[in-house]
Amino acid sequence: MEPIELERPKKRAPKWRVAPMTLRERKIKRIAYLFVLPALLFFLLLNAYPLVNVLLDSFQFKNLMNKALSGFAGLSNYREVIHNEYFKTALWNTVVWTVLSVAGEYVLGLISALALNQPIKGRTIFRAIIIVPWVVPIVIAGMTWTWMLTPDYGIINLWLVKLGLLKEPYYWLGELNTALITVVFVNVWRSFPFYTISLLAGLQSVSRDIIEAAAIDGAGITRRFWHIILPQLKTVSLTIIFIHVIWTAINFDFIWVMTEGGPLYSSETLPIMIYRYAMQDYNFGNASALASMMLGFMISGFILYYFFSVRKKGAN
Amino acid sequence: MLISRGKQRLLMLLTYAVLLGFAVYCLFPFLWMLATSLKPDEEIRTINPTFWIESPTFKHFDNVLHGSKFMTFFKNSVFIALVTTAASLLISIFAGYALSRFVRFRGVKLFSIAMLLSQMIPGVLLLIPLYLVMKNLSLINSYMSLILAYTTFTVPLCTFMMKGFFDSIPYEMEESAEIDGCTRVGIIFRILMPVSLPSLVATSLFAFLNAWNEFMFGFVFINDESHRTLTPGISLFKGLYQTDWGSMMAASVMSVLPVVILFVFLQKFLVGGMTAGAVKG
Repeated sequence: MEPIELERPKKRAPKWRVAPMTLRERKIKRIAYLFVLPALLFFLLLNAYPLVNVLLDSFQFKNLMNKALSGFAGLSNYREVIHNEYFKTALWNTVVWTVLSVAGEYVLGLISALALNQPIKGRTIFRAIIIVPWVVPIVIAGMTWTWMLTPDYGIINLWLVKLGLLKEPYYWLGELNTALITVVFVNVWRSFPFYTISLLAGLQSVSRDIIEAAAIDGAGITRRFWHIILPQLKTVSLTIIFIHVIWTAINFDFIWVMTEGGPLYSSETLPIMIYRYAMQDYNFGNASALASMMLGFMISGFILYYFFSVRKKGAN
Repeated sequence: MLISRGKQRLLMLLTYAVLLGFAVYCLFPFLWMLATSLKPDEEIRTINPTFWIESPTFKHFDNVLHGSKFMTFFKNSVFIALVTTAASLLISIFAGYALSRFVRFRGVKLFSIAMLLSQMIPGVLLLIPLYLVMKNLSLINSYMSLILAYTTFTVPLCTFMMKGFFDSIPYEMEESAEIDGCTRVGIIFRILMPVSLPSLVATSLFAFLNAWNEFMFGFVFINDESHRTLTPGISLFKGLYQTDWGSMMAASVMSVLPVVILFVFLQKFLVGGMTAGAVKG
């Protein structure tokens, strides 16, 4: 995908139409606006208005448990959030969670896409099987893996013990140092198929001619992969990685279903923290401040990405 | 052709090995889920678990169907997902058509920017104000709250998907219909819809999956058993059944079933849609 490429009309309207609008054109304009109206209403009422509200609320005292305290708060919500004991933990966890998930998903996606791109029998069936994890609800995926990982009768523990890799069953989701990593592992399992499909589409558009030319010039398989195939996947890769960094950083479901941020905040990320502020402490001011900060992170990421890709393009 | 025959055979073996590995990795949790749901408790609580079930039982399914509100949750989810699908499809057909044919108007162009941006706004950040909006409209604990929220978050992607499909249909078809006196709405439903049936299927599949799988809004907006949807319902089973994994897996099997059935039939469309979605952002 190009960063933000807004559509231009394919054919420029002829000059005579641009001048004063004809009656027909005016009628079409009215229809056009009528057609986008419902979607626009949804956007304004349930996207734009709430978004503005988050920003405004972050500067207000707003606590449903303590209604006496209200009014303009300045930056005190932000201060409170940053000085929260677990803010740094949550921020670090969010980074770890996002980076490890996206990296793992990309590697698995790339390997599976490369395998699916080979001319072999049964490709469609394998492709169908690989997409399955992506279509099931996160809650179900989380539950099933939680069951397989339980210390008492979970099959993964039993097998690892039997293979001699573990001395005794391990409580993967309940120990401070493995809880987050385990959820990352399950998240990778569920999310990598999206990469597979996107990268496969990218691979199929890599030109055969160039690969053949390189082969004739004596480039081996690994060289062809690193120097020809991978560079051609750059645009697709950047796009899906960028989208998934956002999707992963803001994901609430997985961690909530599997660990609820525990044990002892060891798998708490920023979205979980927002939820706790809002729905457990009813402190909407603090929750909004944290949400605004996340929005700030995202926007800066977006701008960085945009400038990066625009500059790259300008250089070429 | 590009490599020696021996190497080619090796590569093919390697490909099969990799794909087989992936197939096991992707399917194993589902198979284990199914096996657990059919096993009696003694076979679940054993240190030598196998796929072989000595005495299969439907006890857990019976337990979930009659001992819990599972059926209510299921019906709620079906209803909400269907209404969401219909609503987002209808809205995005018109919006997508406008984006495809009328971008020459400044307002429509602005609208397309708004849609693009709204795809980037994550739900968690809007959780609090949306909750307050629903509360002020006294929609908490109603189907409407979820339908509105889900529709809002599915419309942008559906709109871009529809726009993509309409772009591939030549404008000449419409012109001749217009000369014959067909209205715009008539053009969309009589001329374009029949041609773009596969794309309609893909778009509605996306909307349905999104609504069916959503967890957070269902968890926060609904506190009342009779309106609860499946995903939060199942996550709350964890507290209800403690360590009765047989029942929990039975509930999981039943909630995955509709998705898997849909998927088996419509797999081809889904792949097309995913790629379209990925390319359009």
